Amino acid sequence: MRVTSMVPNVQYNIQQSEQSVNTALQQLSTGKRVLQISDDPSASANMVRSLASSANVDRYTSNTTNVLARLQTADSALSTVVTSLNQAITLGTEGANGTVNSSNRQQIATQVQGVLTTVIAQANTSYQGSYLFGGTASDTAPFVADSTSATGYTYVGNSGVNTVQVGDSMSVPTNTPGSQIFTSGANVIASLSQLVTALQSGSTSDIATATTAVTSALNYVGQQRVPIENTITQLNSQETYLGTETVSLTSQQTSLVGIDTATAATNVTQAETEQNAVYAAAAKILPQSLLNYLQ
Amino acid sequence: MLTTTLNTAVGSLLANAGALQTTNNNIANANTPGYTREVVDLQSIGTTGGNVGGVSVSGFQSVRDELLQMQINQQIQQQGSANAQTSSLQSVQTTFTTSSGDIGTQMSALFSAITNLETDPSNSSLRQAVMTAGQNLATAFNNTSNALTSQQQSLNTQVTQDVGQINQLTKQIAALNPQISTMNANGQDAGPLQDQQDQLVQQLSALTGVQETKTNNGITLTTGNGTPLVVSGQSYALNTAPGSDGLVHVVDVTGTDITGNITGGDLGGTLKTRNQQIPSLLNQLDTLANQFAGAFNSVQASGFTQSGTAGSNFFTVSSSVTGSAASIKLALTSPADVAASSDGASGSGGNLVNFAAVQSTKLASGQTPTDSYANLVFQVGSMLSTANTESSATTSSLLQLNNQLSSVSGVSIDEESANLIKYQQAYEAAARVISTVNSLMSVTMSMGTQAAA
Repeated sequence: MRVTSMVPNVQYNIQQSEQSVNTALQQLSTGKRVLQISDDPSASANMVRSLASSANVDRYTSNTTNVLARLQTADSALSTVVTSLNQAITLGTEGANGTVNSSNRQQIATQVQGVLTTVIAQANTSYQGSYLFGGTASDTAPFVADSTSATGYTYVGNSGVNTVQVGDSMSVPTNTPGSQIFTSGANVIASLSQLVTALQSGSTSDIATATTAVTSALNYVGQQRVPIENTITQLNSQETYLGTETVSLTSQQTSLVGIDTATAATNVTQAETEQNAVYAAAAKILPQSLLNYLQ
Repeated sequence: MLTTTLNTAVGSLLANAGALQTTNNNIANANTPGYTREVVDLQSIGTTGGNVGGVSVSGFQSVRDELLQMQINQQIQQQGSANAQTSSLQSVQTTFTTSSGDIGTQMSALFSAITNLETDPSNSSLRQAVMTAGQNLATAFNNTSNALTSQQQSLNTQVTQDVGQINQLTKQIAALNPQISTMNANGQDAGPLQDQQDQLVQQLSALTGVQETKTNNGITLTTGNGTPLVVSGQSYALNTAPGSDGLVHVVDVTGTDITGNITGGDLGGTLKTRNQQIPSLLNQLDTLANQFAGAFNSVQASGFTQSGTAGSNFFTVSSSVTGSAASIKLALTSPADVAASSDGASGSGGNLVNFAAVQSTKLASGQTPTDSYANLVFQVGSMLSTANTESSATTSSLLQLNNQLSSVSGVSIDEESANLIKYQQAYEAAARVISTVNSLMSVTMSMGTQAAA
């Protein structure tokens, strides 16, 4: 082959080596291997999916935190209810004692009435403005005073349960309706109200019966707390899991579009070495001419 | 006899001077783009038929390789097409970044807002957040669609410019045809004119794909589908006309729309991006916007607003797919209108699960919204990456072809320098013959004088 000029080849090689140095430097300075979608279309598409997963994990995490706080508030309200019921049982046992006189019984009745008020207050607990025991009717207090009701209170909430997604296939209930905890089963409110009435009437046998009813209400509330506490435990472990998931997604994203510093630095060195070689070759080749030797 | 020798020597002087001039011309044009080196045709006169030998210049010849030239033109057409696609897709690509503000991010943000609302469905600031996220997603769809459409529109300008340049070039090429054929017919060297024409055809190739045929009347150029551009001395101008689709179309001299038949070169690449690639992306974007809005609206319709009424549309979107991404907008006007409730109670969030499920449910297209978008990103990247690869492949093959061509037609300074010495020495030798003949003649002449004396 008749070679007339090395210039186009030299120019092409310089162009290529400058491009490699530029790419290597950009990768090193940004820490990214894929700087634009076209650098690696399939990694970019996977990046879209991975980012969506990350966003999901983020929202599951924030939901978990939020629901945990809500359930813990509910659980502590129920714990107060348990204390109150124990107090009512003590008062009932005291009132059932034949040695207590009538005026003392009236006092005890007033105290039990106070316990009932406390329980109602707990049943109307709200978290960030939404009532925890009103079912899905969470914007009004679920238990309201009602003189027409035998217990003096009416439940105005509903039996709806909201659930919140805290994982791709994991949802947890965020509330237990007040009707389920306080006015069904061994009816908490009715048993307390029954005790008040019995104390006011002074019949020791009625008082004893009512006290027994309060005791079973105490057990019932205890049972109702179990699923809530289970959910709290679940959420705690989900929180840990989501934490590790975030880490693994982040590392997935790094491996999709990122480049580690060591590799990037090596690439830069390699590209620079190549460029130096190209320059050295150009410096040797370009000045070559027969004219240099003709005198 | 001496006179004959003198004549031969003078002929040699002239021939070598001519060869020196050719060498000089080659050296002068060593860096002229498209210059084809010339060689001098020296011919021995021979000693037959009363001739006593000698040399004459029978002509000059350009050393060209037309096949290589055509291959180069083809590569230039491919390169022009790839480069046009690269530059127009580059600006499309930026709308599909995976960093922020793109459809993927806004879609995730909307689902996050919805899941946050699950924790407290009656909270009006969380409801407001859902609306804002919905608005942002609609805006992201609008922006992406606008970016694609405006890129498409701006390519119209490119088409008009290209067609203008093509017309100018075909005119110049046609003008050279009769000049070259006249010179060829007269046995003259049309080399420089042919170089000029080759250069013009090369420039034309960078703009559009052409087919070249050699005839006695010069070259004939047609587009890929046979529309004539140059026939002997006549050039046929292309025209542009607005089409019914709002885009600029290319029509030939008879008024036929040949937009779909143009491939190669900047015009071919531009038309490919404008008429095929961008519309395909737009169509997928519209489909995604339309189906996503449809999915959200049907979930909204199955739930209840905060005031307990059945949910109205979440997004407003055109019923036809075309234009959905450009026209999609948030239909909700009040945070209370988000149909979070599944039972009509104000605090119910039962329907929110259905909203969140849209993310992982396949749309009518057979893909989840995230996958649809990921697929779109892949296609944009892949179109650009293919164009990039083709561009660098043609660059490197052009380098090879140009090397081959210059190996045939290029000027080598070293070679010309050696030729210079060769012709110089021959010239000197011929001059020496003349001075020898001169001294011989004077000897002969003075011989007669001495005899007389």
